[in-house]
Amino acid sequence: MDYPYTEARPEKQWGAVFDLNKCIACQTCSLSCKTTWTNNEGQEHMFWNNVETKPYGSYPLQWDVEILDRLGVQEWGSDGVYEGKTIFEARDFDWESMAIDDDPETMHSEGIEGFRPDDEDWAQPNLGEDEPTGQEVESDTHIDEDHHPTWFFYLPRVCNHCTFAACAGGCPVQAIYKRQEDGIVLLDEDSCQSFQECVRACPYGKSIYNSVAQNSQKCVGCYPKVEQGLVPQCFENCLGKIRMHGWVNTPENADTSAPVDYMVHDAEVALPLYPQLGLEPNVYYIPPINVPTDYLEQMFGPRVEQAQETYRKARRGDEEYRKLRGALHLMGSTEWRIEEFEVTDEEAIGYDQDGHTVARVPMEEPTYERDRFDNQHDAYRLDIA
Amino acid sequence: MSDEETDGLELTRRELGAAAAGIAGASGLGFLGYRRLTGEETADEDGEGPMNPLEEYPNEEWDQKYRDVWEPDDSYMLTCTPNDTHNCYLEATIKNGQITRLGPSMNYGEATDLDGNQASQRWDPRVCNKGLAMVERFYNERRVKAPMIRQGFKQWVDDGFPRDSDGSMPEEYAQRGEDDFVEVDHEVAHEYAARTFLELADQYSGESGMQSLLDQGYDERVVEETQGAGVRTMKFRGGMPLLGVIKLFGQYRNANSMALLDNHVRDVSEDEALGAMGLDNYSFHTDLPPGHTMVTGQQTVDFDLASIEYADHIVLDGINYLTSKMADCHWLTEAKLKGSKVTGIFTDYNATASKCDELITVRPASDTALFLGAARVLIEEELYDEEYVRQFTDLPLLVRMDDNELLRASDLSADYEPADLEKTDAVADDADRPGVDVTNIDDQVITEELRREWGDFVVHNAESGEFEPVTRDDIGDDFDVPATIEGEFEIELADGETVEVRTVFDLIKEHLVGTWDLESTAEVTGTDPQAIENLARDFADNQQSTMLLTGMGPNHYANADQHGRAVFLLASLTRNVGYQTGNVGSYSGNYRMAYFNGVGQYANEDPFDVELDPEEPARTEKRWDAHSAHFYTNLDKPLKVDGEYFQGDSHMHTPTKSIWVSGSNSILGNAKGTYKIIEKALRTGKIEAFFTNEWWWSMTCEYSDIVFPADSWAEHHVHDITASVTNPFITTMPETEIDRIYNTLNDTQHYKGVAEKLAELTGDSRFEDYWAFIDEEEYQAKPYIQRIFDHSNAVKGYDVENLLEDAREGTPAIIMTRTYPKHVGNEQTQDSQPWYTKTGRLEFFREEEEFAEAGEHIPLHREPMDATPYEPNVIVDDSDSPVVAPETPDDRGWDSQEKARDTNDRQVRNVVKSPSELTDTSHPLTDLDEGYDYVYMTPKYRHGTHTFGADLEEMAVWWSNYGDQGRKTERDTFDTRKPYIGEGYVEMNPKDAREEDLQDGDYVWVDADPSDRPFPGYDPDDEETEYTRAMMRIRYQPSIPRGVTRSWMNVTQTSHKSYEAQQEREDGKAQSEDTNYVSMYRSGGHQSMTSTWLRRTWLTDSMPRKDMLGQNMDVGFEPDVHAANGAPKESFVKIEKAEDGGVNEEGEPEGNWRPVDEGVRPTQENDRMKQYLEGGFTSESD
Repeated sequence: MDYPYTEARPEKQWGAVFDLNKCIACQTCSLSCKTTWTNNEGQEHMFWNNVETKPYGSYPLQWDVEILDRLGVQEWGSDGVYEGKTIFEARDFDWESMAIDDDPETMHSEGIEGFRPDDEDWAQPNLGEDEPTGQEVESDTHIDEDHHPTWFFYLPRVCNHCTFAACAGGCPVQAIYKRQEDGIVLLDEDSCQSFQECVRACPYGKSIYNSVAQNSQKCVGCYPKVEQGLVPQCFENCLGKIRMHGWVNTPENADTSAPVDYMVHDAEVALPLYPQLGLEPNVYYIPPINVPTDYLEQMFGPRVEQAQETYRKARRGDEEYRKLRGALHLMGSTEWRIEEFEVTDEEAIGYDQDGHTVARVPMEEPTYERDRFDNQHDAYRLDIA
Repeated sequence: MSDEETDGLELTRRELGAAAAGIAGASGLGFLGYRRLTGEETADEDGEGPMNPLEEYPNEEWDQKYRDVWEPDDSYMLTCTPNDTHNCYLEATIKNGQITRLGPSMNYGEATDLDGNQASQRWDPRVCNKGLAMVERFYNERRVKAPMIRQGFKQWVDDGFPRDSDGSMPEEYAQRGEDDFVEVDHEVAHEYAARTFLELADQYSGESGMQSLLDQGYDERVVEETQGAGVRTMKFRGGMPLLGVIKLFGQYRNANSMALLDNHVRDVSEDEALGAMGLDNYSFHTDLPPGHTMVTGQQTVDFDLASIEYADHIVLDGINYLTSKMADCHWLTEAKLKGSKVTGIFTDYNATASKCDELITVRPASDTALFLGAARVLIEEELYDEEYVRQFTDLPLLVRMDDNELLRASDLSADYEPADLEKTDAVADDADRPGVDVTNIDDQVITEELRREWGDFVVHNAESGEFEPVTRDDIGDDFDVPATIEGEFEIELADGETVEVRTVFDLIKEHLVGTWDLESTAEVTGTDPQAIENLARDFADNQQSTMLLTGMGPNHYANADQHGRAVFLLASLTRNVGYQTGNVGSYSGNYRMAYFNGVGQYANEDPFDVELDPEEPARTEKRWDAHSAHFYTNLDKPLKVDGEYFQGDSHMHTPTKSIWVSGSNSILGNAKGTYKIIEKALRTGKIEAFFTNEWWWSMTCEYSDIVFPADSWAEHHVHDITASVTNPFITTMPETEIDRIYNTLNDTQHYKGVAEKLAELTGDSRFEDYWAFIDEEEYQAKPYIQRIFDHSNAVKGYDVENLLEDAREGTPAIIMTRTYPKHVGNEQTQDSQPWYTKTGRLEFFREEEEFAEAGEHIPLHREPMDATPYEPNVIVDDSDSPVVAPETPDDRGWDSQEKARDTNDRQVRNVVKSPSELTDTSHPLTDLDEGYDYVYMTPKYRHGTHTFGADLEEMAVWWSNYGDQGRKTERDTFDTRKPYIGEGYVEMNPKDAREEDLQDGDYVWVDADPSDRPFPGYDPDDEETEYTRAMMRIRYQPSIPRGVTRSWMNVTQTSHKSYEAQQEREDGKAQSEDTNYVSMYRSGGHQSMTSTWLRRTWLTDSMPRKDMLGQNMDVGFEPDVHAANGAPKESFVKIEKAEDGGVNEEGEPEGNWRPVDEGVRPTQENDRMKQYLEGGFTSESD
């Protein structure tokens, strides 16, 4: 598999798990990002975080249909081994033909399959919202199958801070880089020379051009927060509590006492978005259990069915998945990054990097019953007053 | 540096797949091989080789930029309180004195109650999209930035209130919507308001005032209701006042203070002086589920949404939970994760449907029939809980078949003496009733007269065969008679007569079995019979473990009372009412003012005897009265057909000559029938003064006479409190830490300002004293808040200073109801306390004459008033039940079809049809053959809370398909016809749309019944009123079954000025040039198709119910409890093409809306989109 540069992994890699079964498409994440980072002139169309309804939603318009179409039908072996081409290979580019430096003359990004959306493709961030596909809805539609024959689901998207970031690989002036301390991929807005090759190269549509500032911009992983041990804005503000931020490690280095690695590498319930594109994205998604797998496998790879089954087992109360239930309850309950967690019979507890408890959530909210008459305050504590 | 490619480290592509499959030994997904792997040789040893940005970067210092953006100077907590029940503390980040962003407080997990019980961190975060976008609102050009008076109104006042010969305001002064506004000082605005109140009180008082009202055409019974007091024509309303007890409920204190004005104007004694009228909220919004009052005698049964995780089965009935209960969605998804089954009952495949385990689709407003069908299964197959039915419901009680009334113990024995009740206090008369703000009583209180009238009831003892009396005390554990549930008997009465009696259960069973077999239920509801059966079995299998949540869907139909009754029937049969793990809940609005039943200390303080010591409680004297705002939207006309009133005296309203509202766009700008009110009441001069307190220029402001600028939710200089029906928190509102952004005041400071002017004009300083603790320095309303706390059962013991201290950290307090999380019904199921009904039981039999007349003694299905393909408002029964015997058109000698066509008379038309007869009928508009074929509904959605938030740039763009980022900047506007950055639309099944020759994205006209909408007398050829006709985009929406259409009710509608702006502004935006009001429609709006509806059974003088506050029970009208309740979302429409969805290069309508041509739209996808939908871009190899 190809990539313009040599593999080099950061000391820690910014990562995330998004549970799509919990996403409600409220767009609070989008607004938290928008009001924090992209509220200036030239950024109107810029949603570093967006949520789109799949399958009819896409922002920019048709980002995934377009790149999948460009790659063409690709084979995924029945053994789970991807046999197709990635965006770094689809053009059969001879990466050895040029030395990659910051000289735009070389324009090595032409070796990456990609496209630049039209201006109008950025007009409608919520096209297709709540529009289902599959079986037609009729007046007597009745659904009681695991997989809804009529379906849609919500896909929240941020920059994946990819291990093999196409934006960085494609930048003709080497102005996009991966931070060693946390793996966040940043676009140096001072050095950007507006070639928009990152816009073209990022298959996720997450590098975006600002025609007023005349440079491209992208999600910054909220590094000012991450540096302080906090979770990014779209995580802290996630109302559906679907997001867990943490470090993601390679499988052999997985630290399953940390919730992200646990869900990705141990429970294996969270999968990367369009892994076949070849970027090793670092946001992992728990696929929605009610959606048929043909479409989901195109999006998350062949392990979808297994991930769905794992989630269903957790629902059924299988003891084996108590830890997973705990991790999923812990999500979103603290603004601090959880680096270690444990799950008891009654609760899940999250600790920060120093071992301090930053989240403690009961698996079931406690109930309290008060005396009917409160002597101290001379008041009946009535429900209907 | 390309010569290392061949070294042995190159991995094959298969590595990726191996990782993806999770095969042991692989290096993780996407831990890809790399072609140009150069290992340690990549960079030259001397560091001069090309840089690898995956491992180094020389210019990292640029990143200070975003650290600077992030780091705040300061922050503080503000309280976000739209009418969505969540009430969130938001942390406002300040930079250079301005709020730059908002975020969650993340401190709900710290909340405790007086006993030290604590909430968990699972409550955090509490925040939403609208809340975060609010930062744009604080500083927006659409803020109400200063007091504004409408030019024509100002002139009217300046001219000395000239009047036409009938005493009305001349139309020339009433050009509301068109006039300019004049900016004035606060004091000037307050003076104009005060002078107007004095004028109105004067003009409409006494004989001459009443004569003037009659001359103006008001109904005589309505005029009589003023009692000759001009102040009774003055209406006050705080919009959903629980959301800000001081600032919003303060409007009712305002109304109370008008007794001082009455005392001044009419020269009546202080004792006789009347206050003004308050308008309702919960019932006006049709949020009240009237069936709850009919069954339980009190406002509503509900529970904190956090409770749903205690249930094994969660039924979401017409509640689009994901979009309207955002902050509490995680309780649902987490419950599901722990195994709760979620069943959705919807009219479409909506957001919430996507999270359900089982989905039942029903025809809009037919859920009642669905529940009756399920109840039939439970009864016929004896799957119900006999013990619960005996102990908690009226189902075993006997009904006399000679008069269709409950059999009384006194019927059987001439000398029967009603038992002394332990749980109910019967006082000698109304004067002996306790105040609403007494916290140390828990007995229900009725008068001796009611006690005698209601009497005791009778059951048949299955073991002894005897008939035994049952009192209101005999409920729950205190009732152990083995009462016969099903049966009919002959019984000899005390007077020797023999009558047939049957149990309530028996009567209901007869109706259900005769009418609601699976096939008939399926036919009426349009549902799969299997779904009905499944629903029944899930209830049967999850007794005391099913939570049934009803949302606005079924609630916002004119027949929602029957829906509520059917819900309780199904739930009661399965022990699912009143438990922490099994209950029913209705979720519309935030309404339970009774959390602060001490609010009378504030709203009802005696204006003639004001308590000025902040440490002392107030003396209360309620002088104001209420009626439903429905009558104002019904142009002050009562429910009257052929000269007969179908409206109880206790519900009778007065003419509306002035209205003063706070925070209430629902009263006009987004009211059902908006254009009727504007064209027939406001622009005619019938309403003489319309004052609005707002911080955001709403459509209501567009048509107001004075707009008082209110502080935003970022600017609290006066404290306030709120609570919620969906969470257990008491939220106090701390002071702001920014300077005021514009020239605004707290709502209460406007009340005080007008009061000061009234004090000057009348010489009565008590007007001013009445608001003594409203200031920004010393008191900030705290004494009022503390008085409320000290007199409210659920918050007594809390200290306002302590709560404010926590509030500054973003930590609320937990409310002290009986349980955490709270739920209604605990007192009944656990303490055997009676419900607030005649019998003390959940009542399924209503014996009152209004119900008899309507044929609605028992729960049954009535068709919607308008939104049905069949004959509207028809009762469905096929059992020949003796208790389904309404007064029919025949009985009254009416032409039945004529009454069905007439939208007024239809409301009292009672016709019974069997299921199959019903489905053979058609809507009278369909019969016109003009294209009226579609049910139209206007529910709420995620990008606005009512209209709050929807029209902000950052929110408008999310309104699904017709957002347009380019509209923000005009750098690249793609379609200048768009009224704004987003726009309103109507959703339709693609097949229906094609049949109407409508392409996805076209502009269409949507018209409802032309006899009364957009307003009565609308003339399509009159250019003056063409702004009222609804034009919007059409959206192909495959989630909706055929025959059903929908627009979201949140987007802002067309005003005169926004309409004019669209025609005249260069950019074509529907943004009014002077007020900045924005419409998201090109003309009209979703309320062009809606109307107010009234029904007999909401307007009784006889139905028992608890007062809104306290433990007193009485009968008849009570605002927000038993009141007109008919401003529903329903309508029946035709849809016609107006313009092509696309534009040509000249910007003229032509061709398709772009995404259609792009091939990405449902039902008209291009080949690659089809391939994508099927997952066809990956294939599995062998």
